[in-house]
Parts: sequence; C-alpha cells; structure tokens
Amino acid sequence: METDLVIVGGGPAGLSAAITATSYGADVILIEESFSLGGQLRQQTQLHANLPSKFFAERGTSLVKRLTSQLETPNLKILRNHTMIGAYKNGHIGVTNGKTTFEIEAKKNIIASGAAENAWIFPGWTLPGVMTAGAAQILLNREFVYPGKQVMMIGSNSFALEVVKQLYECGISVQAIVEASETILSRDQALLSMCKKNNIPFFLNSTIESVSGSGHVEKMTIRTSEGMMEELEVDLICTANGFSPILEAFQIMSCDLTHSEVLGGWLPTYSVNFQTSNPSVYLAGNAAGITSLGSILLTGEIAALSALESLQFISERDSNRKKAALWEELYQIETFFNKDTMLARLELVKHYHSERGLPLPDFVDPLKGEMLFG
Amino acid sequence: MINNKYDVVVIGSGVVGSSIAYHLSESKKNNILVVDKGFPMSGTSGSTQAWVWVHSKTPSWYGELSMYSAELYPFLERKIGDVEYKRTGGIAPFFNEADREGALRLAEKQAEVGIEVDVLNREEVLEKEPALSQRVAGATFCKLDGNVNPFRLVELYTKAAKKNGAVFSFYNQVVTITKKKDIFQIETDQDTFYSKKVILAGGPWSKDLGKMLGVDIPIKQVRGQILVTEPQSPFLKHTIGGIRQADNGEVLIGYSKEEVGYDKRSTLDIMQETAKMATEFIPSLAKANVVRCFSGIRVMPKDGFPIIGEVPEVRNAYIAAMHSGITLSPLVGTLMTELLEDGETSIDLTRFSMNRFDQMYSRISE
Ligand SMILES: Cc1cc2nc3c(=O)[nH]c(=O)nc-3n(C[C@H](O)[C@H](O)[C@H](O)COP(=O)(O)OP(=O)(O)OC[C@H]3O[C@@H](n4cnc5c(N)ncnc54)[C@H](O)[C@@H]3O)c2cc1C
Ligand SMILES: Cc1cc2nc3c(=O)[nH]c(=O)nc-3n(C[C@H](O)[C@H](O)[C@H](O)COP(=O)(O)OP(=O)(O)OC[C@H]3O[C@@H](n4cnc5c(N)ncnc54)[C@H](O)[C@@H]3O)c2cc1C
Repeated sequence: METDLVIVGGGPAGLSAAITATSYGADVILIEESFSLGGQLRQQTQLHANLPSKFFAERGTSLVKRLTSQLETPNLKILRNHTMIGAYKNGHIGVTNGKTTFEIEAKKNIIASGAAENAWIFPGWTLPGVMTAGAAQILLNREFVYPGKQVMMIGSNSFALEVVKQLYECGISVQAIVEASETILSRDQALLSMCKKNNIPFFLNSTIESVSGSGHVEKMTIRTSEGMMEELEVDLICTANGFSPILEAFQIMSCDLTHSEVLGGWLPTYSVNFQTSNPSVYLAGNAAGITSLGSILLTGEIAALSALESLQFISERDSNRKKAALWEELYQIETFFNKDTMLARLELVKHYHSERGLPLPDFVDPLKGEMLFG
Repeated sequence: MINNKYDVVVIGSGVVGSSIAYHLSESKKNNILVVDKGFPMSGTSGSTQAWVWVHSKTPSWYGELSMYSAELYPFLERKIGDVEYKRTGGIAPFFNEADREGALRLAEKQAEVGIEVDVLNREEVLEKEPALSQRVAGATFCKLDGNVNPFRLVELYTKAAKKNGAVFSFYNQVVTITKKKDIFQIETDQDTFYSKKVILAGGPWSKDLGKMLGVDIPIKQVRGQILVTEPQSPFLKHTIGGIRQADNGEVLIGYSKEEVGYDKRSTLDIMQETAKMATEFIPSLAKANVVRCFSGIRVMPKDGFPIIGEVPEVRNAYIAAMHSGITLSPLVGTLMTELLEDGETSIDLTRFSMNRFDQMYSRISE
C-alpha cells in the first residue's frame, strides 16, 4: 500500500492531522487500532471549552462526530481495527489486523498514539473493583455500565474531579477523594464548587494503605493526616495518577526520547515542526506531551502542515505563515490555566534545535522573547 | 563494599563472565570482581534462545566440547539451584528426502566422539513430535539436547559467586586497561581497580575490550531476531531446530542471522519470515498470537568456534568469547578456573586459542 502520509492513531490529534492533510490534496492513510475513531474522546461527555478559534465549546462525544464527518474525502483511506506493530528494514511501518500484516509505503508518518493512565500501586490494587478513573469513565459513558455503587477516588487532579462529577451525576455515591499532598491539586473552580455543593469530603495528606475483599473490593484503609487509620466500605476505587505518552510506535521508529516530568515522563524529542529525530516521523497530541484538548487539536494541525510542506503540498512561505498563527494560538490556549506545559514544551523544542544547530524559525519569534528568555 | 585491589577482575557479567566468576569462586582462593557496564542480562545472554544444544555442532571436536558442557548441567543445578534445565532431546527436522544422506553422515561423525545421533524417518519423527508438519521427511535426533532458562542461569551463577565472596559492580563501564609491571590498572566510569589477572568476557563488545589491550579480537556481531508467542498449553516435547516451548508455555521462535553491528531493533521483514517458517514446521502455530519480539547480538568468532584462553602476548590477560555461550558456560567456567588456578586444563585448549587466527590476527601498533 502506497501513500503520501500515514497517520497512526485516530484520536483527536490524528483526526485533526487527517483533516488538515487531506484538505491540501495529500493521499492519507489513517490507522486506528480500535473499531471506531475518536480515541479517548469517545467517552468524554463533559463540555470542552478553551478550544481553537474554529471550534466552539462542545462535548467530547459530539466533537468526535464533528471531526469524523469531515473525513469523507476520496484521498483518505481509513483502516480501523488495524494496529501499527512494527517497521520494515526500509523504515516503512507495518500494520496488522490480526490476520494479515503488511507494509505501508508512506513518504511521511505522523504518530498520534495518545497517552495512557499511570497505574497506582498499593496492597490489593489488582482486586476487581480497583480501576483507573478513565476506565470508570469508559464503563459509564461508552459501555453504559455502572462501575460500582460506592466510589473512592484516589487523586485530586482535574481529571479525577471530572470523573467524580460524572459518577455522581449517574447516582453513584462518592465516599471521598483521597489526596496525598496537603492541597487539592485541581484549580478548576467549577469542579471544586461542584464537590463543595455536594458535600464530597476530601482526605488531604492521606494515603491509601490497603484494599481488601473476597474476590472484589469491599473495604479500604487509608492513613489520614493524623496518622490514623480509617476503614471505609466501598466497592469501587478509582485512581487518577496522571497520564504518560504511549511510546511503542516511536520506539519502533527509533525516535530519540527525552524525559520531562511536566509533559508526562518519557516522550519523543521534537522540533518546532513536531518532527522527531527520525526525519520521516512527526507526532501530535498527548504523545507530544500531556496537555488539554485545544492544544491536542492544534498540534495535529502543525504536524500535518509540516509534513505537507516537506512533501511540497504547500509552500514554505504559506506553511510558515500558518504555523506561526497556530503556534500563537497554541501559546494562548496552553498558557490559559498555567504556563508550565508550554514552558516545558518550548524547552524541549529549543533543545532539539540547539542540539542540531538549527535556528528556531522566525515564526516562533513572538514566543521566544517571553517564553524562552523572559 | 567495593575494594579496589583484586586477584581477578572479570569484565562482563553475561552467562560467560558470571559462570567463570562462579567456578573461580568455588575454591575461595581469589578475590574476584565482576564489572559490567549495564544491568544484569543487558547483553546477549538476556536475548537468546538458550538451548543447550549438542547434536548438530560440527566438526565433531566442537560437538564433543558441547557434549561435555551439556553433561555438566545436572551437576551444576545441584550446586547453584534450579535453572529450569530440561534435557528434552533435540530434533532437527528435514523436509527433503535428499537431506537424509547428510543426516546419516552427521550421525556417523558424531558417533566417533560418543555423541548419539539417531536419524529418524517420517513416522518416527511424527510419533515423537506429533505437532510437526506432516510434510516432514525425517529428522536427526539427540537425547542430550535441551534448554535452560537463561535468566535463572545467570542469576544463580551470580548469587552463588557472591556467596563465595565475589563482588559484582553493575552500571560501571570499563574504559581503559593498562598494564604496569605485573598489575592491570582498570579504569571504569566510576572507579580505578587494580588486578593481577583480567578476564575479558565482554560478549559482542569483546573487540572493544581487546583494543584496550592493543589486541584485535576477531569476532563479528550477528543479529538474531526471536518471536515469542502467548502461552500455549504444553504441546512441544522436544527442543526443535529453531523452536522451543518454555516452561510457562510461551514458544520462542528464531532462525535469523544478519550482520548489522550492535543494532538491536526487530524488523517486520524478519519477523514475518520467521513466523512463516515456524508455521511450515509446526502448522498449529498459525493460530498462536505473537506477543513479543526481541533481538540479540550473537558473539561470532570469525571462524565460528569459541575463543578461550590467554590473550597472546599479554600475560595474565584471558579471554572467553563465543557463540553458544549458554550451552558452553558450565564447561568454560570450569576450564578457565583450571587455567587460572593450575595453569593447565583437562581439555586441551590449543584449538581455542586466539593464536589460530595468526594470519588474521594482528597486533595493533601503538
Ligand atoms: C481512559 C482515558 C480517559 C481520558 N479522559 C480524559 C478526560 O476526561 N479529559 C481529558 O482532558 N483527557 C482525558 N484523557 C487523556 C487523553 O489522552 C486526551 O483526552 C485525548 O484523547 C488525547 O488525544 P490523542 O489524539 O493525543 O490520543 P487518543 O485520544 O488517546 O488517541 C490515540 C489513538 O491512537 C490509537 N493508537 C495508538 N497506538 C496505535 C497503534 N500502534 N496503531 C494503531 N492505532 C493506535 C488508539 O487506539 C487511539 O484511538 C483520557 C485518557 C484515557 C486513557
Ligand atoms: C538470537 C540468539 C539466539 C541464541 N541462541 C542460543 C542457544 O540456543 N544456545 C546457546 O548456547 N547460545 C545461544 N546464543 C548465544 C549465546 O546467547 C551467547 O553466546 C552468550 O549469551 C554470550 O554470553 P556472553 O557472556 O559472552 O555475552 P553477554 O551476555 O553479552 O555479556 C557480556 C557482558 O559484557 C559487558 N561489557 C561489555 N563491554 C564492557 C565494558 N567495556 N565494561 C563493562 N562491561 C562490559 C556487557 O554489558 C555484557 O553484560 C544465541 C544468541 C542469540 C543472539
């Protein structure tokens, strides 16, 4: 199979890249492991605001429909139920549907493999009834199954509170939110007041000691700030311990990795064009550092434009003009709540360029002053 | 605690280095240090098929060496513990009647040194191993062949050596070796060690270690790629050419040989070729899911045979570099110990000396 561009991953980043790339006439193949498109957006029933200007605030689930409706174009081939599992000696990717495995001869690749939730390990963590917050969200919103009746949330980031809200709204009783540090991690005022309004207790300075039950979670013990042990009856324990980029596809393509706590741990190094150390591989979305939906959509667009530029579907001048605007918008959206993610991203990009003696192109100049040297 | 003066420093803690350290530690006569640049099993010993394979090793003197080593395994297990050594018997199938003649010749040759190889006809092979393809024409069979768990093997060598007082230092790369009078000064990332004797057991990196002593060690790196299936219920009784089933049910499959330096990537070209070959051997494997692949770098002396002995012209420096190090490790550890402690060995090592490469071998001029 031959094509100009192959995109691995049909989440919001991959969809955004596919829409951009096909609109310039490039032949694109989109590979998605799942039977349906949308990635982790498929169970996000919450309203997403702070999106790029061409979008409006919308539920994740309905945004999936909006994005996929823009894909009906003859120059796009979508391979659902196909997983990228390796690379050939010549550097082309190989995909499989479980029956046949074949090569895709693409001139460029964009990998938008997303992020996975980090596990949380404590005695009893393998008992049924212990799951990540995201898993509970999938059961509830995608499978329409109650994950439990009485839930304890471990972790207090915005994602944890969002899932607490969704569980609560479906009638699941929220016993408490346990947080190891002395303050609630989330700064999201709407979510914080939701917890307050519904009298959801927080155990701060507290850690999970153990979970027990016969064949299923029945009890959990937490160690509270005073060093006291508290035993609670629950049948569902959700853990929210942050996300990390999914790296297999990058490792297969021999992309260099780096480590950034703020961006979610190990991730590929990349340039201002979202190009990795392997010149044929670009990246987008949470694989390029954990961030919010608005940024995820924009990185997909920047990666696609960069790939299109190297394939000469767009002139360097036009591409730079567009990328400048996209970086500007990325800056606005990503620094809306706080600047840490953008700073870490720019640090990573700057390092990629300085290591190779590549000047940062003019279009990041507006950011340079404030972000890099300010 | 890490001292800095030793009687013997072993560089490399793979199956070869750890076996030498263990066997040498048994007499407790020497202060031994083993240094490794990586973590345990980070070299070839952590990415191997791990057969203990005798029967098709030719010429017969090489087969004989492998046989002696395989015979040591049951005793080794009694000393260091369960390394999951299984003497399953080995089957090397052939699919063409024309190959029978070669098989008979092999059996005849191996018999000269006491290795019993049977040449089976189609019915006999299929009776022994019903999972093999109906297309099989025959096979050679040797009951001495088997396999081992390489992780347990190296771990238990290491544990037993530590118990005898040997010291191990990981994440500590040797950078230079200089000899001053009769003492080797070994500089690593973190330390300086002094030692009376040094043993190079650097696997695929042996060439780099040789350079530090001004010696060219004639080995090549040959990549091998292995597929691992999800656990299958036990269905393979024997170790089969290219294929074995581990204790946990996983089937390991691999045949490939590529000269690509230290590149340890897996490529789909080879994976697909390997999978195709496996299903031709054992049709029911077509239903098995492959869950993992890995590559290892074979340590391949230029002529294919082990290099064991003193490093020419550098007194008290020794080398052990070989393919099939899993099979040979019990014997190599034993022979090296004899060489260091007694100055002579129960098996003549002349054949395995680096001097055999005389034409190829050249001293790097400073
Ligand atoms: C369970 C879960 C719940 C989440 N909930 C939220 C939330 O409520 N709010 C929030 O802001 N963030 C949430 N996230 C974070 C999530 O990463 C982002 O919301 C967003 O979906 C990331 O978009 P993406 O396109 O980068 O990746 P994803 O949406 O993860 O899409 C990646 C896609 O790539 C596919 N893929 C990966 N590897 C391969 C391969 N080798 N071959 C073929 N296809 C492949 C995957 O199947 C997937 O469809 C959640 C994450 C998880 C795991
Ligand atoms: C695919 C494959 C299949 C195989 N199948 C079999 C089989 O079925 N049966 C069999 O008997 N053999 C088999 N082999 C061969 C066998 O695995 C090797 O012969 C054996 O593992 C070599 O062991 P070693 O200790 O010499 O090397 P290694 O395990 O590579 O150990 C060398 C060690 O030296 C260290 N080192 C190197 N340089 C330095 C330095 N400068 N400073 C400090 N430390 C250093 C390395 O970190 C490494 O840990 C196979 C090999 C491959 C690749």
